[in-house]
Amino acid sequence: MEQVLANFIVALRNAGVRVSVSESIDAANTLDIMGYKDKVLLRTSLAATLAKTLNEKEIFNTCFDLFFSFDDFPEDHNGSNLDCEMEEQEGLSPLSLMILSGDQTSLATSMIRAGHALELSNMQYFTQKNPYVRRIMNYMGLEELDNDISRLSQDGSALSQQQAQGLRDGRGLLTEYVRTYVDRNYELYTRATQNNILERHLMNMKLSHIEERNVHDMHMIIKKMVKRLKDLHSRRKRNFRRGQLDFKKTLRKNITYGGPLFELMWKKRKIDRPNVVVICDVSRSVRMVVRFFLLFLYSLNELIVKIRSFIFCNNLIEVSSVFDDHPVEEAVEILQKGIGLDIGLSRTNYGQAFCDFQENWINAITNKTTVIILGDARNNFYEPETDLLRNIHDKAKRLIWLNPEGPTFWGTGDSEMQRYGPLCDLIRECNTLNHLERIVDDIL
Amino acid sequence: MTAVHNEKIASIESIQRSFKEVDYICSKSIATTLYLAFRLNKPILVEGPAGVGKTDLANKTAAFLDLPLVRLQCYEGLDESKSLYEWKYGKQLLYTQILKDKLNDIVKETNNLAESIDALHRYDDIFFSKQFLEPRPLLSALQHQSGSVLLVDEIDKSDDEFEAFLLEILSDFQVSIPEIGTIKAESMPFVFLTSNNTRELSDALKRRCLHLFIPFPEPELEREIINVRVPDISENLRIQLVDFIQQVRKLDIKKLPSISETIDWARVLLLLHADKLSKETVRDTLNVFLKFENDITVVNDKIHELTQHALKEAQG
Repeated sequence: MEQVLANFIVALRNAGVRVSVSESIDAANTLDIMGYKDKVLLRTSLAATLAKTLNEKEIFNTCFDLFFSFDDFPEDHNGSNLDCEMEEQEGLSPLSLMILSGDQTSLATSMIRAGHALELSNMQYFTQKNPYVRRIMNYMGLEELDNDISRLSQDGSALSQQQAQGLRDGRGLLTEYVRTYVDRNYELYTRATQNNILERHLMNMKLSHIEERNVHDMHMIIKKMVKRLKDLHSRRKRNFRRGQLDFKKTLRKNITYGGPLFELMWKKRKIDRPNVVVICDVSRSVRMVVRFFLLFLYSLNELIVKIRSFIFCNNLIEVSSVFDDHPVEEAVEILQKGIGLDIGLSRTNYGQAFCDFQENWINAITNKTTVIILGDARNNFYEPETDLLRNIHDKAKRLIWLNPEGPTFWGTGDSEMQRYGPLCDLIRECNTLNHLERIVDDIL
Repeated sequence: MTAVHNEKIASIESIQRSFKEVDYICSKSIATTLYLAFRLNKPILVEGPAGVGKTDLANKTAAFLDLPLVRLQCYEGLDESKSLYEWKYGKQLLYTQILKDKLNDIVKETNNLAESIDALHRYDDIFFSKQFLEPRPLLSALQHQSGSVLLVDEIDKSDDEFEAFLLEILSDFQVSIPEIGTIKAESMPFVFLTSNNTRELSDALKRRCLHLFIPFPEPELEREIINVRVPDISENLRIQLVDFIQQVRKLDIKKLPSISETIDWARVLLLLHADKLSKETVRDTLNVFLKFENDITVVNDKIHELTQHALKEAQG
């Protein structure tokens, strides 16, 4: 029975639940106390020891259902054959005997044994399903079964014919059952691994090449990423608290004790929360990546308290409120299409955008602000207004430019990157999620 | 654990029954987890939305086992001196003052500084002994002779450092005090940790605990809870108000009403002598279970259908 638990834990780990060794020991102890009798009890008690977040509980429930649903073979195919006279069954293979006598428990055991022997849990791709079905059947003795069928059907007696028919039916059902078994195992052990592969793949894929159907996955990944950054960041914040001895405070505090310095007080440094202004190009030239920029911007909005977001194409507008008021998909849709917003979406004009910013929002930038510009700097040969960008740079703490194009394209055609570049503290190519993550880590 | 305790936690059913006697309805999953925790001697980490009875579970466990409850409320900046122990500085000072003469006597016979220090060293542990130790919740939970129920409330509000510090207590039920040594629990306390999930807890902590998630209750369970907590309310009204709340939980609002709010509302309705829900009563009392202006507006718009549904539920 321990083996069952061990397998279940492997399945859980594959599905993304982190189970430590000590937790598996707890689970084993739990089983000793609870036993396998009551499925509901088993589920709650294992859930208490193995799945420790709400998310993990959900995964746990799915896994549990899949794993412990390995019930017996269907009942319907054995009926008539049970009456067969036993003396005729000499010379039949063990598998045929099992089918004829309708011994479902042995069949199930033999199948699971085959599964273990062939290391079914090592299956990696769904294309391996059919070969595995075949191999399990062979392991269980398919060849002998086929021999028995052909021998019996050649034999003239009515009983043999009946038995051959029974075996043929049984064979069909068995195949069916083994297939279900392999399918379940695929769900348990392989599916999750595949998701991990997909995720890793997406992290390094060019944003512009990601297909529509992966957008949802993408959103999940971004969310995960933002959360990780948040955790990381909140921890780092506390490290800053170590300070020097605050002598004045210490004296004041210890007056009550009449002089001796019993309690020491430390200087505490106040930590600057990140203060960010993001200016994002939403024009057609960056159409393919803008969605992800916006997704990311949205997540950033949840992460950073002091953030103001602007988008521009022909002109520049502030959109911080859109992020606050709408759920993510809606917000991205609104911003991409400019629904209800006072923005022209025909030709990008960086110069105009900087003018608008200078005129209306320049006060948003203080010496603590980090300014991030997302865009390809393709200005359609308008006036670049580099002076205004220099002004932003001078006022801000840091000016970062993220360009979806690679450095080889900077300065080609209508790209103004060569002129804008020197005014920034940092320019980076940014077209995969990995890039994005690294940069945000930097900002925080 | 005494024989009485053993008897009380003999089975999952008996736990459920005993909790009902102290006015707490626990679902099967809660009872199962409690049973396991008792048998395995593990802390329970309770998570769930606010107001579903996480803290109350610990309270009621203390009542059910007839043990003292030691509560530690966590907040940012909570540290050892507030949670574990502190030296009684005042007392130490006072005693050194009172015993000044005695100290003089000890030092008098020595010839130089080094000898005086040596002489004092023979006594220095006196001022750092148990008499000068002020036990805070964690230490006092360990010191109770007959065991206790320790509730570490809202652990997610504390800092990472504090969480790490808790690990020793949770796994070995002992604490180290540098001046005195390691103090072991007289008898194992039952530990509850509650969390509202404002931040992710560390894996190390989770690993040491059983995890219990208390969700919003199913209608039957909630009706039963109301029945126990507000026994005077009529059955008809009980069904109606539970159904109403259950529907509200399906709406897209900021703060979903939880059990404590349902209980409050039931009490309010009882005070108002309402015998069934009507649009007017509901509208007047919305603020009992909704805590945001926007939420009230959302529910107000649907008040008619919600009430009708609730009334129908009670009839059918």
